[in-house]
Amino acid sequence: MKIPKRSFEASVPSMAMGDIAFLLLIFFVILARAQDDSHLKWQPAKAEELEQAKHHKASVVIDVGNKYYLNGKELENPSQKGKLDKKDLTNKLKVLLGEAKEDRTVLLKVHKETKAERFEPVIEAISAAGAEIHHVLEQENN
Amino acid sequence: MKLKRNKLLVEPPAGASSDIAFILIVFFLVCASVEPEQGRSQNLPNDDKEQKEQAEVPEVKLMPNVVLLDGVEMPKSKLQNKLTQRFAQKEGKANRIVSLNADPAVRYDRWIEYTSMIETAGGTITLQIEETKTKVVD
Repeated sequence: MKIPKRSFEASVPSMAMGDIAFLLLIFFVILARAQDDSHLKWQPAKAEELEQAKHHKASVVIDVGNKYYLNGKELENPSQKGKLDKKDLTNKLKVLLGEAKEDRTVLLKVHKETKAERFEPVIEAISAAGAEIHHVLEQENN
Repeated sequence: MKLKRNKLLVEPPAGASSDIAFILIVFFLVCASVEPEQGRSQNLPNDDKEQKEQAEVPEVKLMPNVVLLDGVEMPKSKLQNKLTQRFAQKEGKANRIVSLNADPAVRYDRWIEYTSMIETAGGTITLQIEETKTKVVD
């Protein structure tokens, strides 16, 4: 006597797909926010004839509290609190930019009321890393 | 004779609601993450080799209330024209270097305004930074 084979139907439950996609999305958003600086408070200076930023690998921010950030992470200087460690910033930028001769743009977001003694060392450090600075500004309406 | 009523109310397919929700989330995320990154690019020479090649480098001293061109006070409206005239005969970036010395108290918005003027006039900016070091003597 032949016993008939039982056929099992196995299918992935399609109802769960939406939930899986949603969780994946949340995961990637959190991952992306770790390098994001949108949570920092600063007001851009105004200027005319602005251009769109090129592809960039790093961004440096000086916020309303005169603190320095590289890719959203605060730069600390244990030896002189509140002051920028120029060499440290240059080295970190060199690592981020790598050896490539192109795509060496660094976004610079400085709060408009920041004094030269705070932002000029940053400009100097970015230049020393061989990067092109892109000052992020606001369009001035005449 | 009684007529049978047609059922007109049809429920929307529930299977598509998760897709709609997903697309809505993506839409709002994209809207929220698009930050305007307009601005001005600046490429500063990172050594003073180029500066040495130029015999006469105009020096702009930027202070909180005044601006000096080679030690002479210059109204804001005249600075750009003066620099344009100076660079008229000179070709190449290396011959159009302007040394910018900003007072430590100068604000960023003022700095941007004047560096824009210098660059519009055709100048290449090099920064002159005075560093102060404090030494404690016993």
